[in-house]
Amino acid sequence: MKNKIDMFSKITRLLLSIAAVSFMVSCELRPELPETGSVPDLTPPSADFSFIPTAEDFRVISFTNLSVEATNYVWDFGTDGVACEMVDGVLVCGTESTSIAEAPFAKFAAGEGSYTVKLTALDANDASNTMEIVVDVVDKFVPLPVTVINGDFEDGSNDWKISFSNGWNNNGFESSSDGSFTKYDGTDNGGKTRGAKWNATRSVGSLASNNTRVAYQSIVVSPTDDQRTVKYILEFEYAIKDDPANDPPEGRIVIADVVSGHYTDGWEAYQQTDRGGGTSLLHVEVSEAKGKGNFTTVQKEFTTNESGLVSLMFSAITPVDVYVDNVKVYPAN
Amino acid sequence: MKKIKYLILAISMTVATSCGDEFLNPLPDTVVSLDSYFASDEDVLSGIYGIYDALQGTSEATETNIGRANRGVQFEHLLTEHRTDNTRNATLEGSKSDFHRYVVEAVNVESEDYYQSMYEVIFRANNILNYIEIANESNRASYTAEAKFLRAYAYFKLVRLFGDVPLVTSVIDPGNTEALFTRSPQSEIYAQIIVDLQEAVDVLDNSSKSRASKAAAQGILAKVYLSQATPNYTGAEALCEAIIASNEFDLMDDFYDVFYDELNSEIIFAIQYLEGNALESQGFSAEFTSSTRAGRDDGQNIVNANLKADFDAFGGNRTAVSITGVVGEDVLEDDENEVIKFLPTGSNINSAPVSYGVGQQAGNDYIALRYADVLLMHVEATMAGGPATVDPDAIASFQLVRDRAGLTASVATITKQDLLTERRVELAFENQRYFDLIRFGVFDEVLSAHSDEMGYLYDTRNARLLPIPQRERNLSKGLLTQNPGY
Repeated sequence: MKNKIDMFSKITRLLLSIAAVSFMVSCELRPELPETGSVPDLTPPSADFSFIPTAEDFRVISFTNLSVEATNYVWDFGTDGVACEMVDGVLVCGTESTSIAEAPFAKFAAGEGSYTVKLTALDANDASNTMEIVVDVVDKFVPLPVTVINGDFEDGSNDWKISFSNGWNNNGFESSSDGSFTKYDGTDNGGKTRGAKWNATRSVGSLASNNTRVAYQSIVVSPTDDQRTVKYILEFEYAIKDDPANDPPEGRIVIADVVSGHYTDGWEAYQQTDRGGGTSLLHVEVSEAKGKGNFTTVQKEFTTNESGLVSLMFSAITPVDVYVDNVKVYPAN
Repeated sequence: MKKIKYLILAISMTVATSCGDEFLNPLPDTVVSLDSYFASDEDVLSGIYGIYDALQGTSEATETNIGRANRGVQFEHLLTEHRTDNTRNATLEGSKSDFHRYVVEAVNVESEDYYQSMYEVIFRANNILNYIEIANESNRASYTAEAKFLRAYAYFKLVRLFGDVPLVTSVIDPGNTEALFTRSPQSEIYAQIIVDLQEAVDVLDNSSKSRASKAAAQGILAKVYLSQATPNYTGAEALCEAIIASNEFDLMDDFYDVFYDELNSEIIFAIQYLEGNALESQGFSAEFTSSTRAGRDDGQNIVNANLKADFDAFGGNRTAVSITGVVGEDVLEDDENEVIKFLPTGSNINSAPVSYGVGQQAGNDYIALRYADVLLMHVEATMAGGPATVDPDAIASFQLVRDRAGLTASVATITKQDLLTERRVELAFENQRYFDLIRFGVFDEVLSAHSDEMGYLYDTRNARLLPIPQRERNLSKGLLTQNPGY
């Protein structure tokens, strides 16, 4: 039995080596000249491409390959660009400044500017052609306009109300006829407009009670993301009575907050503010007591959050009447 | 209305008998040979009905060979719904099953048929404009506006599905290959669409739902504004508000009636079909019936489990009207359900075996635009590309659609995702999702994740646009370029 197997394997080995030798021989004898009937490739590759920023990120450019007569491509995005690819619908950017994909993406992290991109198109005969195009990366971002509803308080406390699970009053503030002399469009009214009013019973802080009122309104702004930081201005006018009274420890203050998120419970929203134990996107306390009817305009900048959903809140701590009017939110710059 | 249908019938018959030599003398889809003439106002009007006839298309019950007839909008679900996460083909047989797997090729017959159908609409519209002098002077302005509305309607479909396409706005000699085969940039196509629709808005009234109207032109123009590379949100918002303020349209109380009470108060523009008449019926209702449940056809628009899940979570009372698997004994698997918004008359999906009534000769209208779509576009325009809106008017529009679905909890903030999901369940199988995903900027993200889940090969280079039909490219002798990735 053993012999038989040996015999068989020897024959097999012999046959295999003959086959291998003949294969090698036939390779060596293969002519390097063109075969009968072949013609030279008269159409060398021609490199060309177009580009468009992606909808998601203006710094990431999607390239469309317009090359003809080519099978392989080498892209060079220069020192400022890195190649990206789409993986399961998400753009993943590496660190390489070159790519051999047919139609790659590239990120120019420095943002706006002009970058030179080079595409070399090659065919299977290694003939090649290179095209250089200057890619202008432009941020066409325009921040969303914000409409503060009933920002002039002419419609009482409508659109400023929210219910409080901790028992505070849900009416926002006391509607008042002692607002600013300035209309919402900035022109002089020639007399008082309507406004929002707080007093000792409506105060938060050390004066908080079941009668406390806080004004609330949710708004939508352009979000801040890894592409850009977006800033808005909160503007309002306020006036504080200068009559003598027993001031609480906080003094006489008007408080404005911009907090992240939209809320249906005012108490939850209040807890996001600096004075409520959270962190406001913008926390403003103003205390200039110039007397009834003498309004001061405040403009404070805030950086938006990632969702773009933010809320405006106004409150006060005061023994005397304080007034707020003409609340506006608009993009900075 | 009946009279119109007979006229359409007469025209479609003349068209059907007049193209015998097509194989000997192939003509590009961007041109159609002109061997008829117009002699009276009546002829021009019947020519206008003929444009609707091109949209309507010829169903399989009339002509099984699609080489000899155009299907009009009857294949549109393949080019749109199938290429989203909404639906798919039940089988993997034939070119109809290429769409949902993103493997459409330049020789795909259904894609080519749709391209041809839209150019047939454009040709017939241009032809009417060419002979408009024959119409009575008092009718010329409205005939012109109607033809331009339909031309814009077809170009709006083409530009979103095929990208840059040849822009033909007059009757062109078939030998003028440069005009016929030069692709115009999308921005130029959009500019023409806007001009045409603005004329229709100015001239037309709201006297018809099965023909062009002012509101139809306003609504389509609003969608055009939202779809442009640089959207015109304020323009779209104003148009939607004009339709809302006209008080001529209203949501149906019962979602079922939107689909089974034709030309109801919610419909702004529909393409009509006539049941039981082979020449005037449509085939898509029958195509939506599943082969696993004794349907006549392949089972197109089979509902993906992913859409069923959105229906379960956000559909409200729309779910039982939209898909099977909710009512009755015969509960199907989550990924096997059928569309029931367009069941042929006489269908009983709870009988055993399931009955599909008049089947291939269904008369269910194709709904091109309805009021719920306008209300949701109003929200979209107000959101203006932002992440959300709290605008009270937008919330009022949104709440109307939600309330009708039985989802009466009041909404304070509408996020972009809320709106996209609402459109998905409200307008499922109405060929909207594909365009919605593009407008909302989440096309690649949503569909490559979907392809991953389903094991499809998704290619970001060619997923957004269909190929320019190879037949056209051959006829153009190299003038007509192909879209990337094909």
